Amino acid sequence: MDNIANLMHGFEVALTAHHIMLMIAGVLLGVLVGVLPGLGAPNGVSLLLPLTFSMDPVSAIILLASLYWGALFGGSTTSILFNIPGEPSSVATTFDGHPMAKQGRATEALSFAFLSAGFGALCGVILITLLSGWVASFALRFSSPEYFAVYFMTFASFIGLGGASPLKTIVSMGIGFALATVGMDSVSGNVRLTFEFDVLLAGVSFLIAVIGLFGIGELLLTMEEGLKFEGVAAKVRIGDVLRTAAKMPRYWLALLRSSLIGIWMGITPGGPTAASFMSYAMAKRSSRNPAKFGKGEPEGVIAPETADHAAGSSAMLPMLALGIPGSATAAVMMGGLMIWGLNPGPTLFTDRPDFVWGLIASMYLGNIVAVVIVLATVPLFASILRIPFSIIGPLIVVICFIGAFTAANREFDIWLALIFGLVGYVFKKLDYPIAPLVLAMVIGDKAEDAFRQSMIFSQGSLSIFWSNALVGTLMAIGLVLLFMPVIGAGIRRLRGLGQARTV
Amino acid sequence: MITRFWAEIGTAILTLVFGLVIVKGSLEFGIGWDSSGPQPGAFPFYVGALVAAASLGTLALTLGKQLAGSPVLAESFIDAERGRRVLAFLLPLAAFVVLSVTLGMYVATILYLVFAMRFQGGYGWLASLATAFLTVAFLYLSLEKFFQIGLLKGPLEPLLGL
Repeated sequence: MDNIANLMHGFEVALTAHHIMLMIAGVLLGVLVGVLPGLGAPNGVSLLLPLTFSMDPVSAIILLASLYWGALFGGSTTSILFNIPGEPSSVATTFDGHPMAKQGRATEALSFAFLSAGFGALCGVILITLLSGWVASFALRFSSPEYFAVYFMTFASFIGLGGASPLKTIVSMGIGFALATVGMDSVSGNVRLTFEFDVLLAGVSFLIAVIGLFGIGELLLTMEEGLKFEGVAAKVRIGDVLRTAAKMPRYWLALLRSSLIGIWMGITPGGPTAASFMSYAMAKRSSRNPAKFGKGEPEGVIAPETADHAAGSSAMLPMLALGIPGSATAAVMMGGLMIWGLNPGPTLFTDRPDFVWGLIASMYLGNIVAVVIVLATVPLFASILRIPFSIIGPLIVVICFIGAFTAANREFDIWLALIFGLVGYVFKKLDYPIAPLVLAMVIGDKAEDAFRQSMIFSQGSLSIFWSNALVGTLMAIGLVLLFMPVIGAGIRRLRGLGQARTV
Repeated sequence: MITRFWAEIGTAILTLVFGLVIVKGSLEFGIGWDSSGPQPGAFPFYVGALVAAASLGTLALTLGKQLAGSPVLAESFIDAERGRRVLAFLLPLAAFVVLSVTLGMYVATILYLVFAMRFQGGYGWLASLATAFLTVAFLYLSLEKFFQIGLLKGPLEPLLGL
């Protein structure tokens, strides 16, 4: 019951006029970045982060988290109306959402999407409320070897469960770790891997990497496709929304199953994209009439949307409790926490309970605010997409580069963003997963410190990772996850749908 | 047309080189053990080696698939039409970066937006100039005035007294 009392305290923190305003602003900005191709949740958070450096951490995280929810919702709007996923995680929503819209059931599709998304998100948040305190107090027993084992598990599950080529995942992850080591070494004080370039002294910021890889890279891909927006007009009437809401209980099984898939994929770093694909495939396979899928079946909208949002919100659990982000966006937020001087991980619950519980309470409120706002503003944001891409594209470019510059006021970062953009474009075309690279950049230093400290404890023997039951179990789970492709080769072949790419 | 095979090979070679550069850089700092634990170069050394090894693996796998006649690798990575579209976007974007560091970000934004709208989007001068100047005015007011964040400035802003 401790958690409930804490949560109530959290609501006191979150329920101020100032914070509600920030939530609304965050959701609106989030829907905007979600709707615009080339700008996504990780990107939006990266661009906004420099503006929060002077804010109070609680306000800042509420703003960024609301932007995240908004972006998840915005991605679905474009999927349904324009058949263009605004976010990679809403690709699966296009399969049935757009056919529904074309049949004149756009409002129904949108309402189903937003309501089930809200349901999924709430499931994720309830899980966080119930489990985070427990996970954090459990994690207080961790010392360096256990932490390294948890990091190992995280990356092992990327390699094993990510769906991309394991070798490519290793390359992407390794590049992230390598970039994280550039600059000052916090343990020895040496300046490493700068190759005599002064601009590298301060290291390579993960913000620049996100802006380049996700923003510029995505824009280049969009341009290559020669994208045209041909949307279905939609006006959302409150009556239609309510009628759709009344139909929701009929899909309780799909809602529950998708929430569970989403929560699982959010806690393990599978991420929202993989969750939505997996949930769609499961819904199709377990449906009584799978032939209807792809032609405008409501369950084909509900399943991926619920899982997407459940994964998105539950990705905050490992970030808060263990200091390990469950998605690329959570990774950026965690980087933000460290910039604000907070130390994500179990100690955060005892050091800054107002921050943790304020954030959790704001997740409840933020998602409700998001559902209302997103339903109210569908026509507005749909009209933004009617602005030709020859105007929107260059504007997004300008915003990305300004964001890259404001991250640290360094001229060199603009060049770096350009390079990351090219890398992102090629990596995406060749199915190199990008999320592991960003995650590795954010937690690289912590992983390295954990490894070095473990080595100091054990005088250089790797056996420390098997020295007690806890760390041994964690390492064993990690190894199982790592060799999942080998173990699950047979199971994998049975999966109907193509492999989901992680982002 | 570049096939996917060559794109895969080229990328794998680049990541291989990246891994080796990291390995070489780490060797400077020692990869062994000293009184304070592992030397600073150890962690990056193994990371670099891992990247290099995985790149070699990708190379070998790609070559193997090519010899087996994989249809995926024969697909086009980029053709003339798509390449033209990417370059039409990428080159002005690169020019924007160059202009940003030489003339400042505000001037670069105006030039870039006007170019993209007038010459690539086919809009009139009035619409292009209005969009560009409104954007810059918005950026200036929100960043410099509201958030007190300065952008890169070039030689022109002082002349205007900004």
